[in-house]
Amino acid sequence: MKGRPGIAGQAHPFTLFSVVAGVAALAFLLPAPTGPVLLYVTVVALAILTGAGASVARAALICLPLWVLLILLLAVGGDGARSAIGPVTVSRTGLEAALAQGARLGAVATASFVLFASFDPSRFLDAVAARGWSFHAAYLVVATLQAAPRFRQRAAAILEAQRARGLRFGGGPARRVRALLPLTAPLVLGMLSETDDRAMALETRGLDARASRTPLDPPMDRAADRVVRWSVAACVAAAALWRLHALGAF
Amino acid sequence: MSPRLLALIPSAVAINLAIGFVVNQLGLPLYLDSVGTVLTSALAGPLAGVVTGLVSQFVRSLYEGFIWLPFGGVQVLIALLAAVAAARHGFASAARSLAWGLAVGLSAGLLSAVISWFVFKGVTATGVTAVTLLLTRLGLTQPQAVTTSSVGTDLLDKTIVFLLVGAMLRALPLRVLGRYPPARRAVAR
Repeated sequence: MKGRPGIAGQAHPFTLFSVVAGVAALAFLLPAPTGPVLLYVTVVALAILTGAGASVARAALICLPLWVLLILLLAVGGDGARSAIGPVTVSRTGLEAALAQGARLGAVATASFVLFASFDPSRFLDAVAARGWSFHAAYLVVATLQAAPRFRQRAAAILEAQRARGLRFGGGPARRVRALLPLTAPLVLGMLSETDDRAMALETRGLDARASRTPLDPPMDRAADRVVRWSVAACVAAAALWRLHALGAF
Repeated sequence: MSPRLLALIPSAVAINLAIGFVVNQLGLPLYLDSVGTVLTSALAGPLAGVVTGLVSQFVRSLYEGFIWLPFGGVQVLIALLAAVAAARHGFASAARSLAWGLAVGLSAGLLSAVISWFVFKGVTATGVTAVTLLLTRLGLTQPQAVTTSSVGTDLLDKTIVFLLVGAMLRALPLRVLGRYPPARRAVAR
């Protein structure tokens, strides 16, 4: 069976997406600040236990500047009753809001990096085809993931070529903005010419045909995957009901 | 969806992502992450632009964590307004592109500010949040500071995006424009 190493890598692609969607929903539904903080701790523990510890560090690195800014903006610069922490005083409500928001960002970023580390585009396409869902939507995501590094390389090559032709990127902001057109226009013109070739290739391969596709090697949808997906859905539904109840909706 | 759109949209999304690299190399405090979205709306209409914007936000989220997914709404707004601009010859001259860029920047900035405040408590990209922090130090309330910094950065960003896309569309030969009827209307040729 195909798939990346580790428990997350072997899971059905839809299971990973439902877990990330569930974490994102719970991050905003659970009561702040305890709920999001506990959720973040749980996500980190699960990521480490399933062999995706590197994603925890990567997410923390992305979130670190945001955590610092949250503390500065909401806790140090916030209003309301203040408490002294060492040499600085912070707003108590601001600190709670910063903690909750920081934990939400951490939980969602960690879950999504676990997903990205385990994401196998071909397994995803096969899973979509096996369900009979829109192949076009899945193709758009997978084709983009394949095109992105190619365009980035092309952008780097154009940058070098234009530099070799004497284009200067330094100086003031106005001069740097003027350099944008000679750097981006070749990228876009190349894209339009590539689109014609690719459209013809897709047409000859019958991508606009309405018939359903047969996946070559669909990923297994095991009982454990279904249990995880239904558990996530149940947790989100319970949290939403609890939140509505707390708001006095019923 | 036609094969042409299926070929165009992934490339346009890749342009949105690759231009981030160019901007970084130039050391500009901009995003320009909607060049592909505006271009697709002008070339193939609002639906193609909206799909480009949404796929773009989804793929960026895969690379950078799903925390920025709520800003997909801003991409949808930009795509729809770019299609309106294209239908009204909004890319026919630099002056028209500038005017539409300012209008779209203002709308996108206001929507960004709402998302920034209600979903992210005002803390989003590092540069924008640094401006927000500075404005709160100057005496603005937090919602005022978030709105001012979001609108300010988006006004500049989207104006440059519209000027760039307009210049590229006007430079396209008629042979290429002929394949994209909305683009011919956009540049009034």
